Amino acid sequence: MEDLSYSALVRERFEKPGNAGRLLGDVVTGMAGEKAHGTRVEFDFRLRDGRVERARFRAYGCPHTIAAASWVAEQAEGRDLEEQGWLDPHALADVLELPEYKLGVLLVVEDALRDATSKALRI
Amino acid sequence: MSTKNPIYMDYAATTPVDDRVARVMCECMTREGVFANPASSSHQPGRDARGRVETARRQVAELLNASPTEIVWTSGATESDNLALKGAAHRHSARGRHIVTSRTEHKAVLDTCKQLEQEGFEVTYLVPGSDGVITAELVAEAIRDDTLLVSIMHVNNEIGVTADIEDIGRLCRERHVLFHVDAAQSAGKLPLDVDAMCVDLMSVSAHKIYGPKGVGALYVRGQVGNRLEPLIHGGGHEWGMRSGTLATHQVVGMGEAFAIAQQEMDTESRRLTGLRHRLWDGIRGLGGVWLNGCPERRAAGLLNVSFEGVEGESLLFALRELAVSSGSACTSASREASYVLRALGRDDQLAQSSIRFSLGRYSTEADVDQCVEIVTREVNRLRGLAPEATADAARDWAV
Repeated sequence: MEDLSYSALVRERFEKPGNAGRLLGDVVTGMAGEKAHGTRVEFDFRLRDGRVERARFRAYGCPHTIAAASWVAEQAEGRDLEEQGWLDPHALADVLELPEYKLGVLLVVEDALRDATSKALRI
Repeated sequence: MSTKNPIYMDYAATTPVDDRVARVMCECMTREGVFANPASSSHQPGRDARGRVETARRQVAELLNASPTEIVWTSGATESDNLALKGAAHRHSARGRHIVTSRTEHKAVLDTCKQLEQEGFEVTYLVPGSDGVITAELVAEAIRDDTLLVSIMHVNNEIGVTADIEDIGRLCRERHVLFHVDAAQSAGKLPLDVDAMCVDLMSVSAHKIYGPKGVGALYVRGQVGNRLEPLIHGGGHEWGMRSGTLATHQVVGMGEAFAIAQQEMDTESRRLTGLRHRLWDGIRGLGGVWLNGCPERRAAGLLNVSFEGVEGESLLFALRELAVSSGSACTSASREASYVLRALGRDDQLAQSSIRFSLGRYSTEADVDQCVEIVTREVNRLRGLAPEATADAARDWAV
């Protein structure tokens, strides 16, 4: 392994990933990525009055993926569904201090978020 | 989680220098010790140093059942592999320009073969079965009339599986093909006998068996001079095979390490086999785990395991209370999985989520038990986060 240095935020989210798990009952699920390619992310949204009331994630991937999915699920809660495009992967890369070659995993996280949001808007 | 003192389980990568080895090395460095140039035969200090070097050469030779005059000091197994392959190819190219090796060799052999290919040599890369074993049958199918050299490692450094060295050696002898064995992972751990194995060239290293880094040796059958084309010129040391002032303290350390390993091999091998079984019995309880390589034919202390449902980089980071290595260069942009495990037919996910546990002289039952506890906890945690987590695994997270 060449480099196992992770930012404090990535370490913290990897150790104690907030908003991990699945929501039961009436939820929409967005997903992106392939396990065979090393990254798979899923988000569950429970909706109320056009907003994301609760959000949970599941992730198969590197520590950056887990940290990013956890952060996004947390940030998604309470947001209006019409507020699309709120996630800027480059800004999140800065927050997580992601190495440039890992930007691809954030795009998978973003795709899963888009998938969940678009499904929610179709309800 | 404290990672200040992770449990060391990476003995196949390197080992600490044994205290007994360090003591004899220290005797060869300072003004009061045997510091002189072993090539300085004109004075007593030089002759004393030469005496220590030759004692070490005998100690290394004894472990291989070789003659001391067949041992050439090098900087390590990588240089030994280079000297063996390039030296034989360049010196004996009139015999033929075809080389046989395997896809699961160490990069020191593979990259040297790539270099020789650029020089016009042809190389056949054998692919083992799913058990990882390179058999004499595989080699027999690849040998041609113009085959010059066969190079096969004794113990694979990633999965710990042993090749059919004796049978391959006999085959090479019958077919008049030179036979090189990379024994970096087996010297001092498994019995070696260059005569019984029909080996012509054998690479060994000190730092894999509690000797210092930066020193190794190449066994060259018969009279060393003229057998190989040297890589390094200048001074004619080591029968002209490897010029340069010998690092007496390194060489003496290697000799002592080999002597200790020979004395303790039987008991240590039994102890490590017991610890390895204890480790595997503990880990396999997780379910969804795969032992990589043949379960029977393996070095005592090495276990390579793939874990279903966990990603390699996360697994390695989650296991940072352990000093283990991954079978994957998974932090690189390419996320390239282990070429050895891919050669065995493992899919990308399993190849990428493999961990090599290698036990050694200072490993204890308590280390193994703690390792099992950590692996069980972390693999279950990561599986619980994954999309296909079962309801049970995800129950702590469900809302």
